[in-house]
Amino acid sequence: MVRANGISVHVQRLDPPPGVDAATVADPDGVDTAAGATPDGGAPTVVLIHGVASDSLASWYFTLAEPLSRVGLRVVMYDLRGHGRTDRPGSGYALDDFVDDLTALLTELDVTGPLYLVGNSFGGTVAFGYAARHPGRVAGITALESAPPIPAWMTRVARRLGRAAGFLPRAGALAEIAARHGEGAIRRARDTGDLLSSTTVARELPASRLPTTEELAAITVPVLCVYGGRSAVVELVPAVRELFPQARTVVLPDQKHSVLIDQPDVIRQLVLTWLGADCGLRLAHPAPTP
Amino acid sequence: MSTAQATILADLTEMIHAVLGEFAADTEITMDTTFRDELGMESIDVVALAGRLQSRYGNSVNFAHFVAKLDLENVRELRVGQLVEHIERSLAEPDAQPAGVVGQ
Repeated sequence: MVRANGISVHVQRLDPPPGVDAATVADPDGVDTAAGATPDGGAPTVVLIHGVASDSLASWYFTLAEPLSRVGLRVVMYDLRGHGRTDRPGSGYALDDFVDDLTALLTELDVTGPLYLVGNSFGGTVAFGYAARHPGRVAGITALESAPPIPAWMTRVARRLGRAAGFLPRAGALAEIAARHGEGAIRRARDTGDLLSSTTVARELPASRLPTTEELAAITVPVLCVYGGRSAVVELVPAVRELFPQARTVVLPDQKHSVLIDQPDVIRQLVLTWLGADCGLRLAHPAPTP
Repeated sequence: MSTAQATILADLTEMIHAVLGEFAADTEITMDTTFRDELGMESIDVVALAGRLQSRYGNSVNFAHFVAKLDLENVRELRVGQLVEHIERSLAEPDAQPAGVVGQ
């Protein structure tokens, strides 16, 4: 646990295994940034940010985290406030609060090298929100089934939170979830219900102050956006492309909002290719799987 | 079950109870207990357990690499015995499993 922005944050880190060289950033002049140039050795760090309600860093731990560490990246995962094993304050759930948490966390962890943010659903929105408030700090952003903090997207997030907040306390809701997703889903549903009823997240998050269009458009680093063809979020692709002309957008046919969990191998390949081709990272050769 | 396995199982039982708190206070944990169906562990609980494993056994037990070969569903089908055997193997050859895991 790491103390950041006044709360206790559950963090998991994976560093490259011994014997795997740290990935380096290919300099335009052909000279790679030397490791050791910065306090954390200059090794590029990837921060993985999960979605809001019914999500946790576990979604990354079992999909992308280990493969990214194997190509020489330092990987940081954390549970957002109110989620997983991080503290759940009663209020403070606007976008800026989530961005402040990430800012404080990176300071606490002394992450100073090249920084890549990878977010799933609302986690992608936190990534864009952070980049908008810290111009020049982020070297690249991947957003899965997500969008930058723009009204069209925040309205959808609000609707989804509102639906869950209305449904979960209902009699029979948990039984219905168990019937559809199995008994194991009950605890998670109960926990999401508790988040929505014991905190202001469903009211505060939709009312968040948003970055201006100019602040968002100033994000000119490589962006990768991945969508499921069967998810309604794909409707935001034109808005994303307009804001970020440099963005690589990939729509995976027949996939849903849960594409990270359903297609981890595809997502891993997309992210690794993007880190190499668009971000100019020289990745270490993956160590053989033990 | 070897003596080493019995010791690891006892350690693991203590860690599982610490992670799950009230949820598993009365549950007997054996080599055949499944993390999801019998202990009701969510994937985030498994990650928290991984952090404790790292604190207890150090980097010789690389849980991240162990679970990397399993997808989310398989992690939930994981039996306590599989983890005990993995820990026993890792401790027997401490240099065989490169580490790099930092739990917090």
